[in-house]
Amino acid sequence: MLKTLVSGVSMLEMPLAEGAQVKDLVDSLHIQYPDLGELLLQKKVVVSVNQEIAHWETALVESDEIALLPPFAGGA
Amino acid sequence: MAVETEEGMLVRVQQENFSIDQELQRVRARSTRIGGIAMFLGTARDHSKGHEVSSMTFEHYEGMAQKKLKEIRKRALQDFDIIEALVLHRYGPIEIGENIVLIIIGAEHRADAFKACQWCIDELKKITPIWKMEYTPQGDVWVEEHP
Repeated sequence: MLKTLVSGVSMLEMPLAEGAQVKDLVDSLHIQYPDLGELLLQKKVVVSVNQEIAHWETALVESDEIALLPPFAGGA
Repeated sequence: MAVETEEGMLVRVQQENFSIDQELQRVRARSTRIGGIAMFLGTARDHSKGHEVSSMTFEHYEGMAQKKLKEIRKRALQDFDIIEALVLHRYGPIEIGENIVLIIIGAEHRADAFKACQWCIDELKKITPIWKMEYTPQGDVWVEEHP
């Protein structure tokens, strides 16, 4: 559902410096995709790292599985 | 084909419909100490926030969704005086009136069964990466929040 904000792609590759944290990823996304960046800053879209909700300070390494998660709507 | 463990069958994210009788039996069979069973069944309704809904599709984050449902079952078993908990959620296209989500709690007594059942569905909505698209006459809508 975020595809409309990132030109229809479902997977992104972002170059990040060694020792990068989630906030650095959010900053990079904000520059490239301002609408998505706003949603991330407002916490309307959250970041997960290795299938756990991450914080701004969560450290990132190359093999991490990172996902951008819009508001959940499971249940009925 | 891998044989699912009985415990694995108690937490599932699946496309196909489920049989309430079969799932109820699965919980009952876990212990003869069970004396009260509470159940929440969520179904697809034809209205949402004042507009008509003709059908819907659920998407989930494979792996994380299962992980979160397992956590919910584990925490329910730890935090409430219950004997067993089953948590199922469907994904994919779902027609109006069909089953979406099922929580079944087996306990010795009703009070904890009711409490755990409510907690499980509330927690599922909060922490499980599942998304719903509703098809309406005004267009397709990703549902953003739930009461």
